[in-house]
Amino acid sequence: MKIIAWLAGVGTLLAGAVYMVVSLNRWEWNRALFFGLIVLIAEVALGTGLVLRRLARLEYLTKRETSGDPAVRQILTETRPSRDRFAWMRDSTSKLNVFITFLVGGGVILSGIAWMVDKVASKTSSPAGEQRLANQLDPISYPAGGLLLDDITVLAQEVPGADDAQIRQLLRRGGRP
Amino acid sequence: MNITPARAALGLVGLGIGVVGVLALREATLSTHDEAVAGEAELIVFAKTHGGEQGQTLDEMVEAQLLSCRLEISSDFAGPIEPLGNGRFRAVLVPALDQTNRRQFRGCVEDFVTDHLQIDVVELNDLD
Repeated sequence: MKIIAWLAGVGTLLAGAVYMVVSLNRWEWNRALFFGLIVLIAEVALGTGLVLRRLARLEYLTKRETSGDPAVRQILTETRPSRDRFAWMRDSTSKLNVFITFLVGGGVILSGIAWMVDKVASKTSSPAGEQRLANQLDPISYPAGGLLLDDITVLAQEVPGADDAQIRQLLRRGGRP
Repeated sequence: MNITPARAALGLVGLGIGVVGVLALREATLSTHDEAVAGEAELIVFAKTHGGEQGQTLDEMVEAQLLSCRLEISSDFAGPIEPLGNGRFRAVLVPALDQTNRRQFRGCVEDFVTDHLQIDVVELNDLD
């Protein structure tokens, strides 16, 4: 309600001043006098309001200083919560609140980056690309018959001087000495 | 109170705006009359009244205000003020009005001069 009253007063003052200047510019002296009177009334009302508000504040401060137990008032003043709502960010970097905040924030940011990387990576594979990759891997693929030893290789191990540790390991797995 | 450079600059700007505004208003409201302008000027006004005294007609109220405003300029009415109907009136001023007289007369006619009467100037042109 007070804000509406103040806005109405200021609006009346400004509108009256504008119309007064316009009327003066148009040589309409009686209108200019009328709007000047409106400006004067609004100015006096706003000035009175400002003075009354200052007086009310002084009265409140005086009353607060002289009423109640000083010790209780001091305790209340000292235990009043701080109005600095971001103090926790400045003077407590060694405490967990800041660490957790940054941890959670960092996690959110990293999750976002990972999501973006996943989306971009999923766009880089295509059926044509997969076929090309399969063709490139073909030279190093397993032989068509698998890795079973053929008879020639087995008999070659009986030749003196032949010593292939991997072939002998496969032969042992197959139950041969 | 500390006067910082920003406050000083702001104050200077406000002072400059105020001075310029006052000078502009002074220029706009200053009477600077030219030599007597030859010819005639035609005035057509639209008038309306609301809540006026009984027994007073719109015609005589308009005539009273126009005659009153005529005293502020150096021209005079050449002939009577003719009612055109529908609240319109016509008059001829001799000699024609210079720029300042024109603004002054229009301002007076459209101003709050006569109670319960509002007049708007429809035309104020020089007659050939």
